[in-house]
Parts: sequence; structure tokens; C-alpha cells
Amino acid sequence: MREASSSNGARRRRVLATLLGLELRLLLRDKRTIIIAVLLPLLIYPAFILAMRAVSRAGQERLEAATYEYAITGSEAELARSLVQEALALSAAEDDSAEVPTNFVERVADAPDSLLRAGELQLVVEWMSHEEYRAEREAEAEGDTAALRRLDELAAVPAVRLSFRSNSELSSTAASRMGARLRRLRVERRDRLLRERGLPLDPGELAKLELNNVAPAEKEAGAVLGMILTPLLVLLMLSGGSVVAADAISGEKERGTIETLLTTAARRGEIVAAKQLAIIGVGIAIAVINVANLLVYVVLGVFELPERFAVSVEPVALIVLLLLFLPLTGVISATLLALSGYSKTYREYQIYFFPVLLLFLFPSAAAVLPGIELRSAIVLVPVANISVAVREVLVGTYDWLFLGLTFAVTMAAALYTSRLTSLALSTERLITAAELDRAELIGGPALFPKRVLRWFGIMWVTLFITSLWLGATLGIRLQVVVNILGIFFGGSLLIIWRYRLQPREVLALRPVRLPVWIAVLIGAPSAYLVGVGLARLADLILPVPERMLESFGEYLIAPELALWQVILFLAVIPGIFEEIAFRGVLLSGLRKRLRPVALCLVTGAIFGLFHIDLFRIVPTAFLGAILAAVVLISGSIFPAMLWHALNNAVALVPAYLELRIAEPPLWSFGLGVLGLALAFWILWRYRSRAALAGGDGGG
Amino acid sequence: MTEPTVAVRGLAKTFYDEARGEVRAVDGIDFDCRPGEIFGLLGANGAGKTTTLRMLATILRPTAGVARLMGRDVVEEPVAARRTLGFYSATTALYPRLTARETLEFFARVNLYPEEKVDARVDYLVGRFGIAEYVGARVEKLSTGMKQKVSIARTVAHDPPILIFDEPTVGLDVINALEMARVIRELRDEGKTIIFSTHIMSEAEKLCDRIAIIHNGKILASDTLDALRVATGRHYLEDIFVDYVGGVEEMPGFIRESGSAAE
Ligand SMILES: Nc1ncnc2c1ncn2[C@@H]1O[C@H](COP(=O)(O)OP(=O)(O)O)[C@@H](O)[C@H]1O
Ligand SMILES: [Mg+2]
Repeated sequence: MREASSSNGARRRRVLATLLGLELRLLLRDKRTIIIAVLLPLLIYPAFILAMRAVSRAGQERLEAATYEYAITGSEAELARSLVQEALALSAAEDDSAEVPTNFVERVADAPDSLLRAGELQLVVEWMSHEEYRAEREAEAEGDTAALRRLDELAAVPAVRLSFRSNSELSSTAASRMGARLRRLRVERRDRLLRERGLPLDPGELAKLELNNVAPAEKEAGAVLGMILTPLLVLLMLSGGSVVAADAISGEKERGTIETLLTTAARRGEIVAAKQLAIIGVGIAIAVINVANLLVYVVLGVFELPERFAVSVEPVALIVLLLLFLPLTGVISATLLALSGYSKTYREYQIYFFPVLLLFLFPSAAAVLPGIELRSAIVLVPVANISVAVREVLVGTYDWLFLGLTFAVTMAAALYTSRLTSLALSTERLITAAELDRAELIGGPALFPKRVLRWFGIMWVTLFITSLWLGATLGIRLQVVVNILGIFFGGSLLIIWRYRLQPREVLALRPVRLPVWIAVLIGAPSAYLVGVGLARLADLILPVPERMLESFGEYLIAPELALWQVILFLAVIPGIFEEIAFRGVLLSGLRKRLRPVALCLVTGAIFGLFHIDLFRIVPTAFLGAILAAVVLISGSIFPAMLWHALNNAVALVPAYLELRIAEPPLWSFGLGVLGLALAFWILWRYRSRAALAGGDGGG
Repeated sequence: MTEPTVAVRGLAKTFYDEARGEVRAVDGIDFDCRPGEIFGLLGANGAGKTTTLRMLATILRPTAGVARLMGRDVVEEPVAARRTLGFYSATTALYPRLTARETLEFFARVNLYPEEKVDARVDYLVGRFGIAEYVGARVEKLSTGMKQKVSIARTVAHDPPILIFDEPTVGLDVINALEMARVIRELRDEGKTIIFSTHIMSEAEKLCDRIAIIHNGKILASDTLDALRVATGRHYLEDIFVDYVGGVEEMPGFIRESGSAAE
């Protein structure tokens, strides 16, 4: 036995080596591959750096030559004027490059703020007394007493506000330079005071200085590099890998060599593996050349870098970067290969290539989004998470847990795509003209189970994008309308219409008996308690950051809503329409493909993923699974709707009424488990036999 | 009688086509082939020849039925089945960026011809098919005739007992077509099992030991030419064919003259 299996292993190794040999030989004999995979990545850094240097030198010269006009306002303008002049007069000798002397000219104006906005002034220096400043903060703080208390602890000194326009480079530079000078003046004065008096006088502050926080130059440069590195790499890998991938299958198809290859003793999986290894080889070559470029030009500083490109990259960062790029290469190569397998000709491949390019470039530029952190739902988005992770690593932030998660998520995506690719290649589409299967030909309802996940994928992406771009700006009510009515309900209607489904069947719109409603009344609060317990358990594994908790609390409290609105928008509407989408359309779509337990778990997990907030996934997935079970057992969606609405009400209303319920004690979880068991016992006693038995939700 | 090396029972393939709906390309066929014999599949364009042969080569998955090559089921043991097989068709091509020698080495190895004998086997093939002159040249530089020789050599690179030729003479000039027929006969005489498909009557008449007439996915008759003559009382294969198929007008795309363009 053993001998047989080891000789089988040897056989497979031999076939794989032979196939890989073929792929590499073909690859190396193609000049385009060499140019795109080696030459281009090799040259792109020096070219980029030279261009950046030219641009930034020109910019620098312009900034040096410019005259910065500023105005002084505020109640203590006279004092201010003298201090500003003193600050500007500070010797430039010990300055670093960021503070080269510049021409600041005061302009006396009546309405300096409007001049600033109009772009005629670069800077407004506003000088306020402590009392004025405090009054202003008090108005802004709206009861945030902590900040005010901190203010009161400081000495009663005047405050300076530098107003500028961040979208004007001149104005920003003026603010940062003026700010730096004022800060230095403050330090020098304090030192002088201390020196003169020789006593432990609280140096306090000469003046509070309110200014935009200019990140340290190095980190800023890291951020710039971090933003462009991933898209750049993705672009290079896609173009490099693309040449190989196109040749790998659609080229072979066009030439007819694939048929020859498929009739040999090589397995489909081996053929795919060899091709993918070849593309990954190209991808890795590109990644290594890029990281080596980084090492040569940036870390070792082979030649002088432009100001905004100078970055300190630790050796460990290079290793982490390589590790992050590995699964990226995997996803890209598998996708390209699938694409190549899917296209019948080289031409067709080129047509599909462009949308795929965009599909990768968008998430790979996720790091450009302002304020996005790896410790958020972005970690679940393959490619985008790599982009954000790379930026964080380049500014020296190592969130190991989430870096690991990033690696795992994108790696999983890579494996999944490879599997799809293997499947795509084993279908007969490879050889023959478009091969439909039975369901595809019949279309309509038969096709629905095969497509339902694809639709929910689209809905997820839509939700993710809208919440990224609009999340903060929409009020809660609008958010509910867009997400729940627009995406979930609209999507469901679209699916029902597209596949000509029977709403009554798909949504399980059937009446139930009275005991079922009682079970729901018991079950919903019980399940909520259990969910809270589970969330706490999850918290042990994946701690919720403080800041998250705060914003979640704000969301829960939603002060601008009246109670009835809270109940309508956050309990009733989600209860009805999220059920229609998830326990209606999704559940019946997956029903034929999964056994009941798996069906509940998968439905729950997908429901959880739709709650973009990473830290709500566990409790919502739990709720989703329970609700799926309720629909399966009762044979109707209505109990699940009530359950869902009750659940949300139980979660929100006490918080809204500011009833600060203490942490639920441990025994309450036990109570929850008991209540849940009771509810399911009742549900089971009055179960709908037809619904449980019928695979397609019929009858 | 020797054991059949190819056994086909109830083999069927249905395609679902957007324009035409359900297409029963192959509709339950049975046949056997034996070593040292050329078995011919004769049928018009679209009769189901290529679909049948692709199922034997495991490129297509049968909708129903079984097929065994050297006792290996094509669905259960596709890899083992393919190892016993050399597949040649007008659409199987060579890698343009490989040399002739590299091509032969690759196909011998990937079909698991014993590693230590690969060199000797390639030398033998180079000599036998007369490709020594250009064995080091890239395939893309070769003429059609040269490519054809390399192609046949790669089909038998791993010395398989079964050889499938799917309309191998399509697109060849007369000289090359005759050369192809000569090689196929030679291989038969060496004891290979050969399945040969064609839509050209004269080709089937001259080359095949047994002929199966395939039409609309069904095999209407399958026997030696002499037995078919006895059964129908006609002499020419063309007449025999029409007898079975029941009228030329039912066969769009059917070409009666040999050697003309096809597909
Ligand atoms: N991939 C496919 N999808 C749909 N129909 C197909 C496909 N491949 C072949 N067919 C159809 O099956 C029938 C048999 O084709 P084929 O086996 O190629 O015939 P032959 O090789 O005898 O000319 C034809 O009607 C053809 O159009
Ligand atoms: Mg054919």
C-alpha cells in the first residue's frame, strides 16, 4: 500500500515538475514577460523618484520665493503683533530645513477671515484671552466636561489660533511655519523665565497654541509611500501576470494546445497548479524586485530622495511587506487564470481584463481613504486590507492581530479563487463553445439557487461602499432607508423579479398558530441575553477598542430621534425587511444546497457579515442563525420578523431611555439559555412538517 | 478473438445550447475496438464524432453510459484512461515556442513514459518520422508537413496502445493526407488499436477495417465493409451510407466528394 502511495506521490511530482518546466520555458521565451515582469518594476522606482524630485524641487523653490501674507485679529492684537514679530525674528541658524526663513508680511484688514477664504491671505493669527477661549470651547463642547476640565487645569494664559486653508499649499506652509516659530518662541521664553528667576515656577504655557497637527515628516512620507505602494504593485502584478495568464489558457485555447494538454496523463489540478505557480512566480518576482527597490532606494538611500519620499523602513517592515504581498499575488494569479480559462480567445480575455483591473485597483487604493484603519471592517476585504496594512506598516504601526487577520483573509480569498479556477478549468467550457448547464438553459427559478450568493455579494459591496462614503453624513433615518429599504428590500425585489420567483414560496408567507407567537415572545429576549453573553466571549478573543464602544453607544442612543422613531426605524423596519432579504430570499436560495444546520449557520454568518461593524458580527450572526431556524421550523417568516423586531427593541429601548442597566449578571445568561430552549421546544411542538420536509420551501 | 481494448456502452452526451435548447449530440452508442484494427466513425458534420471521441479522451464528461480504455473507466479513472491514449485531431496543436525535440520529451514525460527511456524513445521517434533535420528548430518555424510529422510523433510519444484520430486529414493537401493514411496503417500493423473518424467516404473505404455509420448521435450500423455490403446489397460505401441514413437531403453539410474543404 505504502509503496503504491509513495510512487503515486513521485508520479505527481514528476508530472508537476514537467508541467512547470514547460510553463517556465514558454514564459522565459516570451520577451514581453521579461520586460513587464522584470524590467518595468526595476525601472519604475528610479523613474518615480526622479520625477518626484523634480516636482518637489520646483514646489520647494516656489514656496521659498513666495510671500506669505497674514493678518492679526482678536482682542489682544497688539500683544500678538509684538510676539509674532519676535517669533519671526528668531534666528534661523539652528533651524532645520523645515523652517527656512520666509517672507512673512502682515496685512491689516477689516475682515481677514473672508480674505483668507477668498485666498487673498494665507494666514490669520487670532489672539484671544483665556476667558474668551474658554467661553468658545464651552459653547462647542456641549456638555463634554472632560475637555473643559482639562482646559481649566491649565494656567489662564491667552490662546492663539492660526487659521489657514489646508487645500492651499501656500496657506498650509504658512500655518505650519508660523506655528513652529511660535512654539519655539514659547520654549525660549519659558527657558529664559526659568533661567532669570531660578525658581520652580510652573512654566505653564506662554500661550495655548491651536494648530493643525503636522505629522512628523518621516511618518507623512511613509504614509505617502504606503498609499501608492500597493496600487503600484497590484498594477505591476496584474500587467505582468496578465501576459502569462493570457498565454496560459486563452492563448493555449486559441492555438489548440490546451486540447493536446488535456488529453495527457496530467490531472486538471496539476495543469492549473503549474500555470498558477508560473504566474505566482512572476508576481513574486515583481514583489521581490519592488521590495528590493525599496531597500536600495529608500532604506539604503542610494541616492538622495525628495523630501516627501524620505522614509525610515525597518528591516522587519520589509519582511512583513513581503508576507503581505504573498497572498495578494495568490489572489491575482488565480483571478487572472480563471479569467483566462473563462475567455474563449485572447481577444475576449483582453476585453474582460480591464474591468478586472479596476476591480483590483479600487480596493488596492483603499489606503488612500482618509481615516481608514486596519482595525475596522476593512480587514475583511481582501486586497483592500493589504493596502491599509501596508500603509500602517510603513508608518511604523504594527497591529499584529489584525496583520495576521489580513494575511488570513486574503490568503483564504486566494485559496478560494484557486479552487474556482480549478473548477472553471475542469468544466467543458475550456474546449467547447460556451457550455451551459441545464439550470442555465432553463433559467428563472432553476438558476436562482446558483446565483443567490452572487447577488448577496453585490449587495454587500454596495452596502460597504455606501457606508464608507455616506455612513457618517447620513442621519440614522436616512441610513435605514438607504440600507434596509434600498439595498436589502430593493435587492430582494430585484432578485424575485429577475428569477420570476413566487413571493409566497420564497418568503414563506404563511400563517402560524398562536403558540408560535408565544414562543417568539419568550425566545426573543432570551436569545438577546445569550447573544450578549456570546459577544462578551468574542470580546475575549477580539477585544473591542474603546473608541468603537463609544461610537456604538452614540449610535444606540441616537438623541435626535423620538422613541416611536427609534422603534420604527431601528426595530420594526429592520425586523420586516431584513427578514425578507435574509430569511426570505437568501434562506430559500441556499435551501437546496445545504442541510438544515449548515443552512442556519451560513445564513447567520452572512447576516453577520452584513453588519459592517466588525465587532457586531458575532452577536448578529448568532441572531441570524436563530432566526433562520425559526423560519425553518415554523415554516413562516412572520415569527422571525416579530422576533427580530423584539430583539432590536430589547437592545435599544433601555439605552434610549438611559436606563443604565448594570452588566447583566452571569445567571441571566443561564436564564437566557433556558428561555431559548423553551421557545424552541414550543416551536418544535408546533412545527410545520411540510416546511421542514419540503426541500424547496413548497407546500 | 482478442479482448476489446475500447468498450463503449450506452454513451450519451447532451448539450444545453442557448439558441438550440437541448442538443443530443451523442445519443446512446455502443461499440468495441480491438488491437491491430482501424475502427472508423463515418458521419456528416455534426453527427457526433468529435463529441464521442472527446468523451473517450475524458475532455467531455458523458451524460450517460460508460466507456473503458484498456479496462479503465473514463469517468472513474480518467488519468489512467488517458495514459493509454494518444489523441490527434485537426485542432490539437503544438507549442510554437518549443523545439521539436522538447515537444517530444515533454509529451513522453507528462504521460509518464519511464524517465530513463525518454531519450532513447525520442531518438527513435525522430528517426522513425524523419524529423532529424529540424529537431532543434522551434515548432513555429516549421512548415505544415513538418508540423504534422512532429504532431504524430508527439501523439505516440509515450507508446500508447490506443490511438484516436479525429478527422486527421482535414486541411491537409493530398500528399500529406496520403502520408497520414500510411502512418496510421503502419501503426495498426504494429498492433495499436486505432479509432479514426471522417466524413469522407473514400477515406473510410480504403483505411478502415470496420466502419460505424453515425448519424444524429446514433450509430446506425457497425461492421466490416464486406458485411455492410452483404447487409444492404450495395457495393459502394456511399450508397450503403445513404441507405442507412435515408436520404442525402436530411444531411446538411454532408460532403460526398473526398478531399474538399470541411468543417
Ligand atoms: N459545446 C457544445 N454546445 C452545444 N452544442 C454542441 C457543442 N459541441 C457540439 N455540439 C453539437 O453537437 C452535435 C455534434 O457535434 P460534433 O460531435 O462536433 O459533430 P462532428 O464531430 O461529427 O462533426 C452538433 O450538432 C454540434 O453542434
Ligand atoms: Mg468533428
